[in-house]
Amino acid sequence: MYRQGDVLIVPLDESAVPAHAADADQVARDGRGRMVLALGEVTGHAHAVVGPGRLVREPGPFGPMLLHLPDGGRVVHEEHAAIPLPKGWYRVVRQREYIPGAVRIVAD
Amino acid sequence: MTDIDVWRAAAAATGPADRPAAEAGVRLAYRAAGLAEPERIVWADSPREAVRLLGADGPYGPAARGRGVREAVRSAPWAAERDRAQRRLGPQGWGRHWSATGGRLWENTERLAERVRTGLVEELTAGAAEPAAAERSLRLLLLDAVLGQHDAAWLCAFDTREGTPLHGLGVLARAAGWWWPYERVAVLCERPVELHRDEAGRLDRGDGPALAFPDGFSLYAWRGMPVPAGFLAGLDALTPQRIREEENAELRRVMLEFYGYDRYLRESEAAPVHRDETGVLWRIPMPDDEAVVMVEVVNSTPEPDGTSRTYWLRVPPGTRTAREGVAWTFGLGAEAYAPLRET
Repeated sequence: MYRQGDVLIVPLDESAVPAHAADADQVARDGRGRMVLALGEVTGHAHAVVGPGRLVREPGPFGPMLLHLPDGGRVVHEEHAAIPLPKGWYRVVRQREYIPGAVRIVAD
Repeated sequence: MTDIDVWRAAAAATGPADRPAAEAGVRLAYRAAGLAEPERIVWADSPREAVRLLGADGPYGPAARGRGVREAVRSAPWAAERDRAQRRLGPQGWGRHWSATGGRLWENTERLAERVRTGLVEELTAGAAEPAAAERSLRLLLLDAVLGQHDAAWLCAFDTREGTPLHGLGVLARAAGWWWPYERVAVLCERPVELHRDEAGRLDRGDGPALAFPDGFSLYAWRGMPVPAGFLAGLDALTPQRIREEENAELRRVMLEFYGYDRYLRESEAAPVHRDETGVLWRIPMPDDEAVVMVEVVNSTPEPDGTSRTYWLRVPPGTRTAREGVAWTFGLGAEAYAPLRET
């Protein structure tokens, strides 16, 4: 698994990929053609993957999302070093924080 | 910019409304609904001023304004567009379309609109002779509102180009804030002059209102948590003792965040509970409340000046090791958390 700031990218065994993921509509790429895993509302900084592949949103406001990179790819961010990702399926998990009685998403 | 970026920006826009564009949008929306244009378009500096103008004692009370036309101007054309899109895309296709467009803006804009409603109710019913009755009539008035820029999520999911049924609503939403459509008058609101949010899109400001309108109607919040207006002024003089003595757990949490967990840890002589290669686990006992347990994590990418940023994340009070804490922040068990690379 790979961690870039508040995003964890966990390799997923092919057999664990939900059946619907292969046909599901992908999340639209951003204006620069990237697959955005997480977007900062204010700075606009994004954890994003460049290159061929598909990003599928699972139910729930913050994912998790499923990422398929048939040829591998790179996850980039304005403030973090890029990480090369081998080809395969991944689950993308946003970091969260405990608050009594609830849980909230972290944003860096 | 892609459409979603346009609507994301519209939802968060501040500064003076584009009044000519907004008024043209209103007239267009009335005409598209088959109604005569409103006799008057009146501007208000905030939703607070708008409800005062429209209240029973205001100049545009029920007798002066005529019947509400929100259903005809907004809800009916909106529902027709949604039906059309659902028929065209099918239920699953519509679900996917929504999650790629409006669904991405919904949570933050709805949360903001709900905070404005709550703020209005709190401020305008405080000191009322009959608070329950005052709240009831205010809530009825709020049901008549069209949310302008805060309708961005829905409008983002629809076609609002020129010539389409929702064009007028779209023009207005990009030009102004909330508005109230009635038969004889439309009351339009300015946009906020201040809007401060954190990276997650929550209202957040430590030294003033997080949301403020030109007439002074404002909301205070720290990382999304509503706080009373006077509360922030006292934060500069905080001490660990003052934090421990605060009886309201919510406000104490805000104080802790404002003061800084690291500083509080140092000054309250909290002890690290556990340390491993993922970070450090800290525990601060709180009187009559669950302990604050946090993991201290070092960001693996150095800042431009070569230092590494350390940050603290609160984790459930039962956490026993730093690894367990960091793993929890990603929804994993301690044994499953093993990043190959971190930046």
